[in-house]
Amino acid sequence: MGVGGLRAGRRGDRAVRRGGGPEIIAELREILAEATGRAELADVGEQVPLFGAGVGLDSLTGTLMLRGVHRRFGVDVADEDLNLDALATLGALAAFIEEHTA
Amino acid sequence: MMIKCVIWDLDNTMLSGVYLESGSQPPPPDQAMVAVAAELAERGILHAIASRNPQEAAEYAEKATGLQFAAVECGWDRKSDAVSRIVADLAMAPDAVAFVDDDLYERAEVSFRVPEALVLSPEDMADAVGWPEFSPPVVTDEARRRGEMYAERRLRQEEARAFGGSRDEFLRYCGTRVSIAPATPADVPRLHELSVRTHQFNSAGRELTEAELAALTGSPAHRVAAVRLHDRFGDDGLVGGCVVETAEDGWTVSLLMMSCRAMGRGVIEALLAWLARSAAQDGAATLAVPCLVSPRNVPLRLALAGSGFRAAEGGTPEQPAAVFTRALDGPLPELPEWASAA
Repeated sequence: MGVGGLRAGRRGDRAVRRGGGPEIIAELREILAEATGRAELADVGEQVPLFGAGVGLDSLTGTLMLRGVHRRFGVDVADEDLNLDALATLGALAAFIEEHTA
Repeated sequence: MMIKCVIWDLDNTMLSGVYLESGSQPPPPDQAMVAVAAELAERGILHAIASRNPQEAAEYAEKATGLQFAAVECGWDRKSDAVSRIVADLAMAPDAVAFVDDDLYERAEVSFRVPEALVLSPEDMADAVGWPEFSPPVVTDEARRRGEMYAERRLRQEEARAFGGSRDEFLRYCGTRVSIAPATPADVPRLHELSVRTHQFNSAGRELTEAELAALTGSPAHRVAAVRLHDRFGDDGLVGGCVVETAEDGWTVSLLMMSCRAMGRGVIEALLAWLARSAAQDGAATLAVPCLVSPRNVPLRLALAGSGFRAAEGGTPEQPAAVFTRALDGPLPELPEWASAA
């Protein structure tokens, strides 16, 4: 755990803010397609929920996704975001990464 | 730290010779190593291969030794990379694996890059069966069948890679069946074992003794559930469970646990959906899962997030646990079609 510990954001906090740059989104789509083994997810919309129907991220693919994000961007989402709100959508994740790499 | 998997080199380690230098007849297995490995498999310890050889060498070793391998890494890149891939594939902590190689350089390279792993020579292995790292205190029937189940897992993964559809489509294709039932006294040893062995999917981070579990299964103020999993590739047996305190005002899940072998197979979602539905049916206003927040159980936090649980705070040095809760007055999650509850 990071020194500061985890913060719990408010639901929806991250969904509305400035979306991450298009380059981040494009890389996240690649990471998602690789984590799920489903090439068709390489063009998923940035506001499509990652959990639940549709993308159907679960604990296995979610772990692979977090690992991919950590490797590519150096951001440990699970260490900073108690409720993993950053995984709500690709847009939320991109904004989170931007915030934490600035 | 208990060792859960031994990663074997082949040439001059598991085999008594060098595979690619032995002409038409591949070298026979080293019988001393095979005997040690078979004894460890009996104790529920897995085996894997990391070898600088073509894939056929592993297929040969599997046939010639009669051992079952949970993961196979054949190729010519760094042994430490092979070890790391196996650790990730089996969803294990690096300190839960041992690496056995006759080559001093390979041992040094793995020690340097994966310092948590237990690095051993074939000579060390001769008396490893007596070491505490290789002597789990409890060995259940599930544990003895572990090698077989991981071999089935390898087949399932190969099919999944070729399958292409969504995870749910693949679970249906596999004929996945998750069953949730009240735990019986016969389930207690395996539930105890899960409480010791599970880390990635363990909310409490504390083992429950068989005596504690036996008392809880008989307690009117608690519910203890056992979760089983099978599909057409094989029967995984009892892979998860939970202990619930059923108070008037709400349900508190004091332990939620699942074997990482069941990861990605729709089990934890089924269990969380069942908990929400059962709590609501029981008239509980809230469902709470106090969960130790650590880098190791991130997969459990992912499952909680995916099932609509949220925590207000926690995960600090002062407050390592967070209480994840879920409202029960709104729409409840459906039990997945592959799950059934008794």
